Amino acid sequence: MLFAALLFLLCFFDLASGINAHNVSQDEILQNFYSQGNNPQGHTNNWAVLVCASRYWFNYRHMANALGMYRTVKRLGIPDSNIILMLADDAACNPRNKFAGCVYANKGRHLDLYGDNIEVDYRGNEVTVENFIRVLTGRVAPSMPRSKRLLTDANSNIFVYMTGHGGNEFLKFQDNEEISAFDIADAFEQMYQKKRYNEIFFMIDTCQANTMYSKFYSPNVLATGSSVLGENSYSHENDYDIGVAVIDRYTHYVLNFLEGVNKTSQTTMQDLFNSYDVDKIGSHPGVRSDLFKRRVDEALITDFFGGVAQFIITVGRKNCN
Amino acid sequence: MPLRDPSTIFFQFDNVRRTIIASYWIIIILALPLWWKTTSIERLSLPSSRVRNQASKELRLPVHIQLPGSYLETTKRSQDQLAQTLSRQGVDVVFTGGHVEGSNPTYILKHGTNGLVLSDQELEYDFSDESKLSTILSELLCPPQQGHLVAPYSPRFRLSFTLLNENSTSENYVRSWDVSRGIRRYITPLLDQLSLLHNFTIESQVQYHAPLAFKPRPSRLSSEDLSVFVNSAEWSLSSSASNDPVLHFVAFVPSQPLEMPESFLLPQWGGIVVHDPPSLSVDDVFPIFARQLLSLLGVSPLPAGVKYTGDVPISRWQLEALLRQRTLENTHSSQDTLLSIVTLVDQIEGMPVGWNVKDDILDALNALDKVYASSSASLRETAKQSTNAIVLASRAFFNPDMLALLYFPAEHKYAVYAPLFASAVIPVIAAAVRELLAWRRQRRQQT
Repeated sequence: MLFAALLFLLCFFDLASGINAHNVSQDEILQNFYSQGNNPQGHTNNWAVLVCASRYWFNYRHMANALGMYRTVKRLGIPDSNIILMLADDAACNPRNKFAGCVYANKGRHLDLYGDNIEVDYRGNEVTVENFIRVLTGRVAPSMPRSKRLLTDANSNIFVYMTGHGGNEFLKFQDNEEISAFDIADAFEQMYQKKRYNEIFFMIDTCQANTMYSKFYSPNVLATGSSVLGENSYSHENDYDIGVAVIDRYTHYVLNFLEGVNKTSQTTMQDLFNSYDVDKIGSHPGVRSDLFKRRVDEALITDFFGGVAQFIITVGRKNCN
Repeated sequence: MPLRDPSTIFFQFDNVRRTIIASYWIIIILALPLWWKTTSIERLSLPSSRVRNQASKELRLPVHIQLPGSYLETTKRSQDQLAQTLSRQGVDVVFTGGHVEGSNPTYILKHGTNGLVLSDQELEYDFSDESKLSTILSELLCPPQQGHLVAPYSPRFRLSFTLLNENSTSENYVRSWDVSRGIRRYITPLLDQLSLLHNFTIESQVQYHAPLAFKPRPSRLSSEDLSVFVNSAEWSLSSSASNDPVLHFVAFVPSQPLEMPESFLLPQWGGIVVHDPPSLSVDDVFPIFARQLLSLLGVSPLPAGVKYTGDVPISRWQLEALLRQRTLENTHSSQDTLLSIVTLVDQIEGMPVGWNVKDDILDALNALDKVYASSSASLRETAKQSTNAIVLASRAFFNPDMLALLYFPAEHKYAVYAPLFASAVIPVIAAAVRELLAWRRQRRQQT
């Protein structure tokens, strides 16, 4: 009985190869003008893995959390081909959804997150612990299509966002199985060993979320979570027409902050962490930066949430007509 | 009806009852090995010591330079300087006065006063000024790294050529382009030469509506605008038909003239050419694409002042410098990959290792042995073997069967097994104990 109870408790360059010649001095002037793009920390591509580990109508808010992040990273320039979205996706077309085909994240339904251009890569029953680990480690079947693969390399910055119901060192996947903090830590280590990332930013919104990043041991990982051990994370607000809570507090305030960020913004991760307000969020969000090699106040938000802003001018300016 | 004496019922005969109880135990004991086999993970032993040994090796590639005999002694200082610079990059340079048989590759230096003229294998150099010799040679043989610009090595690449019209309802719009001529004339010759290293697939498309994500200002575009030029959310630039890395080449036709650089490169991603005149000629655009392609694949430009007179687009010096670069890179990363497989398998106990993983690791090790064996004989063979090694090592690493078992603490095991087995096993044990006691009592009575 005790055991059963335990079970339930687990809740540039011009190539002088004879093809073309051009005016060098003009190029130099131009390169100085455009300052060659700036990319001191050395990543050339950005990826995002967004996981909503819950399903069922009453977990509407978790779907909205993940879709909110999806919309934000897309707005800041990560292309759909570089976003792996894992979503039960049973909210938009749920028979109980009065606003069919829409998912909203606020009372009054101002912004439809589901919209007209959304690509869910792992849907419904495909959202499993196994698939998540396979995506991260790259150990997928040869027949797996490109859209379901995380094709990262040593120059990739990856943003991993997870939301759902969790507890001390675990996160439940669709009321069916769970992933532990150890599993994610081991998956990150395997990625590090195969040089599958430059830096990872891990964010999790669940109860006792901070325990989920406590087991990480691989370098260049920055992590943040919504609540400490023994603390719940709460939902933000209800919409009475939808009839359920529409978003979680932590994610709501993070998304609110990110709304003020654009593709070329110089806002740093430290600014994001400083924006955490315990009174509003109702729990104590945590940050883990001991594995991260750079200073948090020098890491830009767009290093993880945006597409890469780096370019090299190859041929000089053309004159205006 | 009177109660019957239990010893008279047939299944209560001592022998029958004991056989029944014993058969339960026989089944349990026979099932144990099966249970053990089906629940344990297959972890074949890996050739760890061979991998560690291989990983500690460092590949060195020889380069032979033939000098006119009279200059062999006088240029000693430059020779030493060059040898020192190149040795740090894994290349051993040997200077000879005469022809060296069978050693590959050999470069020939000749005295000439027409400046630096480069042909297939030869470089004309004015030996009256020795000062620049080592710099020029080091730039030719081991060009400086271009950092993040060059795409990471892949045995296969997909090249995607796109003609993007910002708005096809404006005056400045290009209906079509002769893409096949452009590719045939400017791209294919390069790909033929690079086929030693990569396999290429080409796709092309024309799009008529490709809005920019920012509002172009009338003044010159700022560097911020350039960095967000690619509107990834609305331009679909490549198909997702295969998993090969894609290099994008985009000819963008803006609806109104933009004051900005005519072309720029996005490291590891591709190149963009902005073209405003209403007619677009592939002879303007494709030479730029060709140069961008070379930069992205790591073909280094010739040092300033060097005139190339050969008939193929990429000189032998450049091509072999690239081969050396990629060979060193691939060998190093396959050694790393093998080492990390061994480390991870030691570190993560629940990670299965099957036959196909072991076979790939052994094949990769054999390929690496061949890399070292052929390094002094043939650069092309060495490059080929290093490519094999990296492909095999990565395949071993990414084998889908190597998925570690999820973390499962001991408490969870008890919690799973106890409710399942306790209720079934306790009566079986109790019956056996009772029967044993009865049997002993019986024996004592008989004696």
